[in-house]
Amino acid sequence: MTFRKMLLASAVVLCAAMPNSASADTSDKKIALSNNYAGNSWRQAMLTSWAKVTGEAVKTGVVAAADAFTTAENQATEQAAQIQNMILQGYDAIVLNAASPTALNGAVKEACDAGIIVVSFDGVVSEPCAWRIAVNFKEMGRSEVEYLAKKLPEGGNLLEIRGLAGVFVDDEISAGIHEGVKQFPQFKIVGSVHGDWAQDVAQKAVAGILPSLPEIVGVVTQGGDGYGAAQAFAAANRPMPIIIMGNREDELKWWKEQKDANGYETMSVSIAPGVSTLAFWVAQQILDGKEVKKDLVVPFLRIDQDNLEENLANTQAGGVANVEYSQADAIKVIESAE
Amino acid sequence: MRIVDRLSRAPWIWSWLAAFLVWFATIMVTGGASTLGLSQAALTFAAFSIIVGIGQMFVITLGPGNIDLSIPATMTLAGTVALKLMNVDNAMILPGLATAILIGIGIGLSNYALIKALRIPPIIATLSMSFIIQSAAIWTNRGLRIKPPNFLADFTTSTTLGVPNVSLVALVISVAAWFLLEKTVYGRWISAIGQSMPAARMAGVPVDGTRFVTYVLSAVLASLAGYLLACFSGGAALNMGTEYLLMSIAVVVLGGTAVAGGDSNVPGIWGASLFMFLVVSMLNTYGLGAGIRLIMTGLIIISVIMLAGGRQPGAR
Repeated sequence: MTFRKMLLASAVVLCAAMPNSASADTSDKKIALSNNYAGNSWRQAMLTSWAKVTGEAVKTGVVAAADAFTTAENQATEQAAQIQNMILQGYDAIVLNAASPTALNGAVKEACDAGIIVVSFDGVVSEPCAWRIAVNFKEMGRSEVEYLAKKLPEGGNLLEIRGLAGVFVDDEISAGIHEGVKQFPQFKIVGSVHGDWAQDVAQKAVAGILPSLPEIVGVVTQGGDGYGAAQAFAAANRPMPIIIMGNREDELKWWKEQKDANGYETMSVSIAPGVSTLAFWVAQQILDGKEVKKDLVVPFLRIDQDNLEENLANTQAGGVANVEYSQADAIKVIESAE
Repeated sequence: MRIVDRLSRAPWIWSWLAAFLVWFATIMVTGGASTLGLSQAALTFAAFSIIVGIGQMFVITLGPGNIDLSIPATMTLAGTVALKLMNVDNAMILPGLATAILIGIGIGLSNYALIKALRIPPIIATLSMSFIIQSAAIWTNRGLRIKPPNFLADFTTSTTLGVPNVSLVALVISVAAWFLLEKTVYGRWISAIGQSMPAARMAGVPVDGTRFVTYVLSAVLASLAGYLLACFSGGAALNMGTEYLLMSIAVVVLGGTAVAGGDSNVPGIWGASLFMFLVVSMLNTYGLGAGIRLIMTGLIIISVIMLAGGRQPGAR
């Protein structure tokens, strides 16, 4: 308790020492987005959401600027240099989707030492001075198997489609799925392929393994790969299993077509790309002087049989189902972490 | 004996042998029940590698330093723009195809302009070009996926007499490429340039024109592959070309084409493309972890290259 008071006291002293910020007003604050990759529809939606929400915030004077920067090569070294530039340019906060959980720690520490707030999301960093808005990917994987257990009480064979090998998110979701299979032992994973979260890669990998697999009752996925799996099953003339979807418009549209044609049932789960806007508001709240826990959790966006049509209608053709967060949502997330 | 001897000297035999062994090992897991399914899947997915691989082969044949790294971005841009133009309308199929080819010609032109006019080495020229192309693809459609026209979607995903249509397209292109390479003066020219550019110039080969046509050809084949792949997989995606960067080079090398240039071969591309798909399927089928799978893929490729590279000098 005393430690916390001391922290608070030092924060107050720091605030008092800095001109303009004592009023806890953020209208003169500049926030930058440091993004490591823009080459898929999820990232494009993420940047569009950022532009939309922060554009409004800048117009209404909540913050002075909210600029987005994306590195060309998805390299940690390049992003570290980018962060150093942001420090020199005098941003007050950096919202970060990191290329690596550890390789940027040095640059992040430099930013913290310069008095800059760093909020990482999606691709979070482990440096303790930064805030992390993470998704409980393990729970996401586990919930997929739980859903299948409800739909198929007698169980059966599952095919697992994983993401990009060697990436933290892929390991987490897969660990969750395997936890789920342990919890519901009526299921057995008989095959596992890497779909790289891309529809065409997933299609290719599934088409290659499918001829040698026994009957499959369910496909557990990581998002972006469900439609490709469905196409591979259709091309091989196999009975269509329950394929968990990942909120992409093509997946939802295919699901809707199947639902209308033969009452196909499944569910869809992923994180909304609008999580960038949640990170923006969290950074704004911290700049505003709010005390915020270092580790926050975003809820994932789940679509079920009954709200499919509604979500499909709200999703841009070819995009990803999305929610953009408001300042009030951010305050709710911050408070629920207390 | 003489047939065996001659076959073992053919540079393409090793990739075919490897593809066959891997195919056999995979179908044996199910006691042969997966034969038809696996073969069709392999032919389908190999077709795309074959088309881009042939383009890359022509470029590599031009000799040391010649390579086209803009293939993935070209595929993405051609697929994206063509699908946006067709906009699910069957009547627009031909204009879409023409646009894809025009994009290929444009990219090939720009690539060679960078190489020739600005004297940038091909590896850097095509790589920087690919950044520009990829950005253009992002800018055109922001990663949104538009479905292909129904006719094209059906054509690319169905089979004729059990053979996937896309692999028939690849076959036609391969035969044309083989003819171009072995039976025309253009084919002689690129081999001559690959063996020695100064000598070719002395002998009166139009070096610049030949290189120019080759880069354009590679870009056009890449855009054609992008067009087909986008239709096959139900829409263009920004990252759809990514894996074809290494794939296009790998199938050329595995297929027995000399990396130093001047000696190319079309049948090897087929064996290598089938092999590259089958080896992943085999390791998936045996259920090995991702790490072991990647290591095995690497080791298998190295061994095939070592075998294929053991041919006698002078033997073609």
